[in-house]
Amino acid sequence: MILLERRLKPADSPRAIAVATILSVLAALMVGGLLFLPYGANPISAYAALFSEAFLSWRGFGFTLIKATPLILVGLGTVVAWRTGFGYLGFEGCLLVGAAAATIVALSAGEGGALAGIPFVLFLPLATLAALFAGAIWSGVIGLFKGRFGGNEVITSLMMNYVAILLVQYLVSGPLRAPGGLPQTTRLERDYWLPLLFDGNRAHAGILIALAAAALVWIVLMRSRLGFEMIVTGLNPKAAKFGGIEVGRRQLMAACLAGGLAALAGMMEVLGVHHRLMDGMAEGTGFIGIVAALLGKLHPLGVVIVSLLYAGMTVGADAMQRQAGLPGSIVFMIQSMILLFILTSDLFRYYRLHFPGRGRTLKDIRHGT
Amino acid sequence: MELDVATTAVLTGWLTATIRLAGPLLLAALGELFAERSGVLNIGIEGVMLLGALAAYLATWTGGNPWIGMLAGMAAGLVSGLFLGFLYVTVQASHVVVGIIFNIFALGLASYVYRLALSGISGVQTVAMFTAKPVPGLSEIPVLGPVLFSHTMPLYLTVLMVFVAAYTLYKTAFGLNLRAVGENPRAADTAGIDVARYRYIAVMISTVASGAAGAYLVLANVGQFRDTIIAGQGFIALAIVIFGRWDPWLAAIAALIFGAADALQLTLQLMGTGIPPQLLLALPYLLTIIAMSGLIGKANQPAAFMQPYRKE
Repeated sequence: MILLERRLKPADSPRAIAVATILSVLAALMVGGLLFLPYGANPISAYAALFSEAFLSWRGFGFTLIKATPLILVGLGTVVAWRTGFGYLGFEGCLLVGAAAATIVALSAGEGGALAGIPFVLFLPLATLAALFAGAIWSGVIGLFKGRFGGNEVITSLMMNYVAILLVQYLVSGPLRAPGGLPQTTRLERDYWLPLLFDGNRAHAGILIALAAAALVWIVLMRSRLGFEMIVTGLNPKAAKFGGIEVGRRQLMAACLAGGLAALAGMMEVLGVHHRLMDGMAEGTGFIGIVAALLGKLHPLGVVIVSLLYAGMTVGADAMQRQAGLPGSIVFMIQSMILLFILTSDLFRYYRLHFPGRGRTLKDIRHGT
Repeated sequence: MELDVATTAVLTGWLTATIRLAGPLLLAALGELFAERSGVLNIGIEGVMLLGALAAYLATWTGGNPWIGMLAGMAAGLVSGLFLGFLYVTVQASHVVVGIIFNIFALGLASYVYRLALSGISGVQTVAMFTAKPVPGLSEIPVLGPVLFSHTMPLYLTVLMVFVAAYTLYKTAFGLNLRAVGENPRAADTAGIDVARYRYIAVMISTVASGAAGAYLVLANVGQFRDTIIAGQGFIALAIVIFGRWDPWLAAIAALIFGAADALQLTLQLMGTGIPPQLLLALPYLLTIIAMSGLIGKANQPAAFMQPYRKE
């Protein structure tokens, strides 16, 4: 029988963490590789195909950038919120209200609307502001409940996701519905689409905004007094209060900023990808962004790297699915297994495996036998 | 007061649908209640319900009997519970993080297995379902009869579970210890209660119930499986537990409110009134948000809610 034995000292050196993380990823890839076997695919060549499609093909790389954009923004939102001790899970909802706000601005810029004919350079800041505002209010309410009244943000933010899903459903099946069958708005005018970045692939300017946001979050959180106060609030709210930090206000700010960032993700999806608002748009991006932030160790740079890798895997999986008939769900499983393995690897930094009958145990040493 | 025939029919239909839709939600919520009372927020029940639904579907499809499917759903819940318990209790990872990741994992696993199992079979197969078993005599009472006494076995058992859950939680030593673990794990530990063991058991109660709830959904309400069959019902179960203030009786009422909102929007859509159905559907969520916002007094949540416990 295998027993866990507590280490005298947890192995928490950077090297131990790096080794544990890398081994976890490799283990997850190996176990994930088994999933290819029922389809008669060689796991190694499948992985190779997956990565070469996402990162070595110019067209595929464009899709990777498109998919990474909302993940980066939601991931940054997670970093800001969670670092400040605000356990927010409502990014799916913020993404949707951001998408809705941007859509409303874009539709009113269309023919006959209040903003008809507005040039793109004016439209973009306006749409951005609308999305930011919508997202900040959406999450700010929860921040207010938490900071002012001590509400439980984990539960309330989860519930707000469903309110947002229903709100978008209402908009696209009621007031904003395009004539025709599906519950969605009319297509936005081409003038208000995010411009494409390169020839030969579909990457849009959203990735630049996402990267700029990452730089901004890095500066604010890691290099400013405000960010310091937010992080201290997250580490120990009581100590922060003693240190003269207005904990409730910092959490409210974190909430608004986090919601605003996720709302931008929604705007990118509308202006860059779908070009309309439609039911079922978020597709779990708000949750996968949280996962990307966790894998990126709640650091802005980590979020960017992990989001690109994650997006790449998704694009590669789509390609695999089309070409070889392999299910795309394999990648979902591998991605989540990587995280579960990393979580589990923590255990081995606190405990070591002990096989009874082989060598002395800690207990033996203590009892001097 | 004399009700005309059409109104009675609509009313009966609505109330019957309320109970039909509330059943699986209540079952999952009753299990989740145990996990949360022990201090574990098991967000993973969304994924467990999906796996339970898939296991139940495949087992019934193979075995031909919905009871086999129900057992398979519970078995899937049990395995999920061991896995989740390991991560929540032994690894002591954040409950929120584990739950979210498990839900993504379960979605991938379910669609992978479903595809693998049904490769080469075209079209969606309907499996054998539980049929309504009207209670002799009682089901013939006008309005109340069809509403309360002509349901499927899983519904009757779920109602029974409310009594069992309340009794277990409030009247047994197990329930007392479980609540102690959720309120103050350190004190419980000092008093000789094995915190880890209680949390493992509580998580497994929640996952077996969720697995059964997923099976219930397939075998009594839908008859088929698809990736989107749960679509947030696990999260609704969470809302029911919290809206019901961690009490089995209140949870039953909360489940009826959610079921009623869902059934009412279906009825109103059929009748073609102008009320947006989304508004009705959003109401229970909004109520839950208000219940947890701190606006109306501090929610009475277990003191060690969402906190991993590390024995020193």
